[in-house]
Formats: sequence, C-alpha cells, structure tokens
Amino acid sequence: MAKSKKYPYHPGVYQMMDDLRVGKIGRREFLRTATLLGVAAPVAYAMAGCEKKSETPSASRGGGTKKGGTLRVSMRCQEMTDPATFDWTEKSNVARQVLEYLTITGPDNITRPYLCERWEASDDLKTWTLQLRQGVKWNNGDEFNADDVVFNFTRWLDPKTGSSNQGLFSSMVTESGGKKKMTAGAVEKVDNNTVRLHLNRPELAVPENLYNYPAAIVHRRFEEEGGDLSKNPVGTGPFELKEYVVGQKAVLAKRDPKDYWGEEVYLDGIHNIDHGDEASAGLAALASGQVDLVYEASVEQLDVVEKIPGAQLYETVTAQTGVARMQMDKKPFTDPRVRTAVRICQDHRRLLELAYRGRGAPAEDHHVSEVHPEYAKMDVPKQDYERAKQLLNEAGYPNGIDLKIDCKKDPSWEVAVAQVLSEMCKPAGIRIKINVMPNTQYWEIWDKTPFGFTAWTHRPLGVMVLNLGYRSGVPWNESHHNNPEFDKLLDQASATLDVAERRKTMAKLQKMLQDDAVIAQPLWRSIFTASSDKVRDFKLHPTNYHQLNKVWLG
Amino acid sequence: MARFIVKRLLFMAATMLTVSILLFGLLEISPGSVATKVLGPYTSQEQRDLWLEAHGYFRPLHVRYLDWLGHLVQGEFGESIRFKVPVAEVLWPRLSNTAVLGGLVLVIMVPFSLALGVLAGMKEGSPLDRTISLFSIVTTSVPEFASSVILAALFVFYLGLLPGTSTMASGFSWREMVLPVLVLVLYDFGYVTRMTRASMVEVMTRPYIRTAVLKGLPHRRVIFRHALRNALIAPFTVIMLQINWLLSGVIVVEFFFAYKGFGSLLLEASLNQDLFLIEACTMVSVLVAVGTQTLADIGYVYLNPRIRFS
Repeated sequence: MAKSKKYPYHPGVYQMMDDLRVGKIGRREFLRTATLLGVAAPVAYAMAGCEKKSETPSASRGGGTKKGGTLRVSMRCQEMTDPATFDWTEKSNVARQVLEYLTITGPDNITRPYLCERWEASDDLKTWTLQLRQGVKWNNGDEFNADDVVFNFTRWLDPKTGSSNQGLFSSMVTESGGKKKMTAGAVEKVDNNTVRLHLNRPELAVPENLYNYPAAIVHRRFEEEGGDLSKNPVGTGPFELKEYVVGQKAVLAKRDPKDYWGEEVYLDGIHNIDHGDEASAGLAALASGQVDLVYEASVEQLDVVEKIPGAQLYETVTAQTGVARMQMDKKPFTDPRVRTAVRICQDHRRLLELAYRGRGAPAEDHHVSEVHPEYAKMDVPKQDYERAKQLLNEAGYPNGIDLKIDCKKDPSWEVAVAQVLSEMCKPAGIRIKINVMPNTQYWEIWDKTPFGFTAWTHRPLGVMVLNLGYRSGVPWNESHHNNPEFDKLLDQASATLDVAERRKTMAKLQKMLQDDAVIAQPLWRSIFTASSDKVRDFKLHPTNYHQLNKVWLG
Repeated sequence: MARFIVKRLLFMAATMLTVSILLFGLLEISPGSVATKVLGPYTSQEQRDLWLEAHGYFRPLHVRYLDWLGHLVQGEFGESIRFKVPVAEVLWPRLSNTAVLGGLVLVIMVPFSLALGVLAGMKEGSPLDRTISLFSIVTTSVPEFASSVILAALFVFYLGLLPGTSTMASGFSWREMVLPVLVLVLYDFGYVTRMTRASMVEVMTRPYIRTAVLKGLPHRRVIFRHALRNALIAPFTVIMLQINWLLSGVIVVEFFFAYKGFGSLLLEASLNQDLFLIEACTMVSVLVAVGTQTLADIGYVYLNPRIRFS
C-alpha cells in the first residue's frame, strides 16, 4: 500500500485527470471517482480546475444564517430497534441525526469523508485503509475508535443479524456449507484509529456503500446494552433522541456543541411527527403551519403544493424507480420468451407520461440510470407487439397468457404504472391482473411472489444496484436472477476504476440484464417534497436522506 | 328490576365468551401462523418452534384457550409486534384519546340534535320542520370521508383558519379538535334529529296531548310536561347506539386527520397484522358494543314504565 512520494494519490486519479483534460470523462464523474479514491473533496475540486462552490448557496438570501428554532417534520416514526436491519429510509432519518456514518454522500451525489477522515485504496482495490477521525465522542462520553468500526462490520456480515449490508459488502463474505459468513480477517484493526478492510475481490464503491442507510455506526457495546437504538440512543451525531413513540413522534434535541466534533448545527431540535399512511395529512399539516417540512410529496400532490401560500417545492431527478420483476425460477417465467414478451410490450416514454406525468426519465429495463456515472448509453427499447406475440406462440401460449402482478397500494404511482403496463400488454395477448395489497403485506412477499412490482430507491453508482439486486444469491435478489457470466462481469466492473473502461463492461452488463428480461422497468422518477418558506438550506437528497446539520430557520 | 339487570349482564358475558371463542379460532388456532406473524416471515422453522415451545403453544387446544382467556380477562394481551411494547401500553392511551373525541361529539351532538328534533316534530310539515329535516338529511347523506375532504379544503387550504391534522404533537389542542369533531357531529346529528323528530311527531298525535291542549294548558307546558318525557325514550336508545358507532365510525376521521386514537390504531393493527393488538382491539370493541347495548336496555326499561311493569 506504499504510495510513492511523487504520486500522493491513487494512480487512477492521475489517469482520470488526463481523461478529464481531453474530455473523456465529465467533471462530475471525475469528482465522484476522485473522492471515492480518497482525494479530499476540496482538493478534487481544485484538480478539476474549478473552484469549490459554497455548499450553502441560498444562505446568502437572508443575509446570513440564524441559530435556534425547532424544525417540525411530517414523517413516519416506525420502530427503529436496530440500524443494521433498517428497511425504511424514514427510520434512518431519525437515526441519522443521532448516529453518523463513516462517509457521507451529498445531494450532489459526491461522497465525502465523515467519521472516516480519509481512506486509501490499494492499487488492486482489494485493500482499503480507513483512517478514522480523532476526537469524536459518543454522547455517553466514550471516545469513538477502531473497535466501534470493527464491531459494526462484524455485525453486518454476521448472517444472524440479517442486515442487507451483507449483500452490499459481499466482497468481504465467504460462503461455506451453504452459509455466508464474514471472511476470516476481512476487517483488521491496525491501530486505535485505523481499520483495514481486506476484500476477496476488487471493489470500487466501498465509500459509497458506507453511506447506505443501514450502515450507521452504532456504539461498540450496542448489543451488550440491549441492542435497541430507540431505548438506548447512544450516538456520535449532533442531536440526541429525547422521546420516541412508535407511530407518533420522535423528538430530537441539539447536543451540547462542545461535545460534538463537527460544526455546530443551527437547529435547537427536530420534531418528527407521524401522520400515518394518509397521503394528504402531511400537506394539510404544512398548509396549516403545523409542520415546516414534509418527508415527501407525491407527483399527484404537486398542484396542492403550488396552492399552499409560502410553500417551497423541491424536485430532484433520481435513480429511484420501480421494476415489474419476474422470478426466473417460477413458472411461467422460467421461460425467457414469456419474460421478454412482457418486457417488449412497454412503450417507456408513454408509460412515463401516463403514470408519472412525464416527470423523470424513461428507463431501459436494466436498472442502470443516466445519473449513474458509468451508465453506457443505450436506446430506449421499442414497443414490439408482433415479436411479443411470436415469442408467446413459441413458448406455447398461442392464445395469450394470464398473469397476476402483486403491487402495493402506496404510493399511488406504483399502482398507476401497473395499470398502464397491464393495458400495454393486452394487445399482445398478455392479460395481467393487478393485485393491489396493503404495503406491509406486500413487503412480506416482495421477494417471494413470482411477479411483483417493487420500488427501488436511488443509489449513487450503477454497480451498487446490480450488486444488491441482481448478483446470484444475494438477499435482495428478488427476481432470483442467476447468471454466472453476469456475476463475473459484475466483479470486473466493480473493480474497474477508469470510468470509460468501466462503462464498456457496464454496456455488456446492461445488455445482458436487458436480454435476461427479469425486469420490465418503465421509468426513472423525479422525487418531490415541500417545506414552508421558513426552512433554509434544505436540499432534497435523491434518496430522501435528511441531512439537517446545515438547515436553519428564517 | 335487579333480576332483569342480572339477566342482561349474564347475556352480555355469554356474548363476549362466544366472541372470544371465535377470535381464538380465527387467529390463534394454528400456532405456525402465530409464530410467523410474531417473528416475521424470514425466520427459520427452528426459531419458530423454539418460540412456540417457550410460549406454550404445544399444549392441548382447550388448555391454551383457557390460559389465553385468563390473560385477556386480566388485561394482559401480549406484546404488540409493531410497537414492540405490551399491547396495554398502546391501547389504553389510544382508547382514552378516542373517548375524548367521542365524548366531545356526544356533548355537542346530543343536545343539538334533540333540540332540533323536538322543534321539528312539534308541528309536522311546518316550514321549520321542513328546513331542519332537509338540513339533517343532507348532512347525514354525506359520508365522513367526503365531508373530511370538503371541510379540510375549506378551512385548512382555502381559509387557512384551522390546523389540518390533529396529532396533538405538542399537547392537547382545542383547535386541532375542531375539524374531527365537526365532521363526526355533522354526519351523526342528522340521524338522531330524524329519530327524535319521528318520536316527537308520534307523541304529538296522542290523545293525552290533545286532552292537555283542549283543557287549555299553555303550549309550552304541554310540550315540556307531557310531550317531551315520552318523546325522548326512543332517542335514548339511538344515542346509546351512537357510542358504539363512534368507536368504529372514528376510523375514517382519525386516519384522515392523523388523530392518534383507537380507530386509527385498529386500522394500523390490521394492516400490519399486529396479531395481539388486533385481538385486544376486537375484545375492547365487543365490550363497548355489548356494554352500551346492555346500558341502553336497562335505561329503556327504567325510562319506560310500561315495560317495567309489564
């Protein structure tokens, strides 16, 4: 891991600087990958030949920031026992104010150091050294150190924990006797403030993965002390959890700024108020000044937001999507011709228009988005009823086929997509019955039903999504996609630093996933939220993550 | 009278026992599905068996039922799956919230609808009767899910006068109570008004009223001394039934205004398959239903001497 004096940074950084100069990659891509490889963000900006813009451009609006006040947020307050098993962003948004992550990905999609002050990757991207920030204190008085990090990794990778992080860090997992376990020695404590990760295969997205929402760092005695965050909220973050009632509220108060390592936050407190599943309740509360910020506004609610006096609307284009996924090991989807027939019945642009008011981008059935840096340009697939009919005929369904798709009730765009999809499939003789289920019931069968429509959240890199959802055997592989060649190529993509080079592999992966036709993916959607005009410097994160350290009230 | 009350109470106990058997049969008879609901769908059979063993699910059915019933009677409902606390800890505060909401509705709705009903029924077909009847029919025909939206659009979004949700997040607030109470009163008062009116109309045609009028009593005295007492017997039963209706009728209103009461709890429990919470909510609903029914029966007998002495 010795770095030559001449090149203080990863050799790939210099390669990329050349690429940037000749225009092979964009500035954004350069910044992303350079910061991913351990170049501090301001340095990366300087390298890219541009001044780092102020992170709070709107701060100047009111002539400076103001301390104090409580931000009231309308958001579900679900049980939040164990951060490692979080399956909802809302849970992490409460925990995010108390706990912190090793890295942080901003609303600009760039990952920066956080609890981890610096990271270095070996040339083969198989050894990552994490230099932890010193002087960070837990709110129980303990010093944050390498033991905390080792404890968290060990827990995430233990199958007993049941954390989705196991799929994310699959390069630190070995399978033996049908059980997946952490590779022996995968996490090494170098000294009190240094941790080294030893991966089985090259992995590029380690810093990005460290900000995935179940990767919040809990205290090293988390399990000994009951393993329940809501009852024992020990964290390093700028806020402390004062009161937590599932289904009602989460009250957070600012921690003594002297004890917090970072910049002092502006807010005195945050009140999250649960308004239940009723979609209009949050906006009603905003309209009557009961809350300052809602967790999200749906595409149907845009007109309402515009009518609320003083409300600010936030919109961001994301890699959030929904996939009508077909399990390739369950009949009739064992036959690739059936899956393909469903897939090619879509007219993606029209679907986006009809089901989501055209706000977003048409997708291409491979779950890699244009906002991902390594996305390889492809054409939006064309609707082809003739071929669909022919495929069905060949598969032994000359009179068409009856299918049932499970989808959840909320948010309503998901049902809308399922309906439009069902209509679009009709002319080819594919009759899809839509089974709308309450959300919790759907989440019980989301990875079991042969045909279901599942919403996926945004992730900053395309390889992350593919690793999480389409690699053979990982827990979230809901389509049971199984293609050894795909896995091998995915390993390769995950190990390729050069964006242009990685894009070549991605082109193959995208094509392969499209041809395997385990998903029909109609659209990438924009997301929205709204706040009162009191709220300043809030930015809508593409994953709805609440980063409130810089938010203030005017 | 005492004999009658004892009989009603016994009948009430028998009803609850029957419901408890039905409930047990529906939700608890298969240990496998109980364990799946409690431990989640991703657990192994081994984990489920261990849990079932520890919680005595391998005992004979009747032993399990009696044990379950015993706990139920003592108010030990088990632990909520979603809230991760004993059911009682969630149930009682939510129930008292609904009691506050329901109580307010009754306090406003009962005098209001009785007065209007009596006014309308005093003289059938008069302009006053027509106006009140039309108004009460219209409000009762608009269901709560529609009037919630209409009133919220008007008072919250258009006029900006009232808060749009009623979570009581920073303590009890009268302003937050206005809309939920208003929606329920509007929906319910027309019904009670119509019943009171019908009863009043009927009483006003009775010979003893005619006698009272013919013997020259002042109109006021005829109404208060003779008509009212008899006319209010039928509405009494109807009002008792409203308590029962309120317990389930509040679901829509509580959900819409995010009021943390029993109705929204019942809905969330069902959507989340929160087994022990559903059981507790069901038994509470049944208790309230048969309880108010019994009270109505007893009260009716007390008020109506013809039944008491027959």
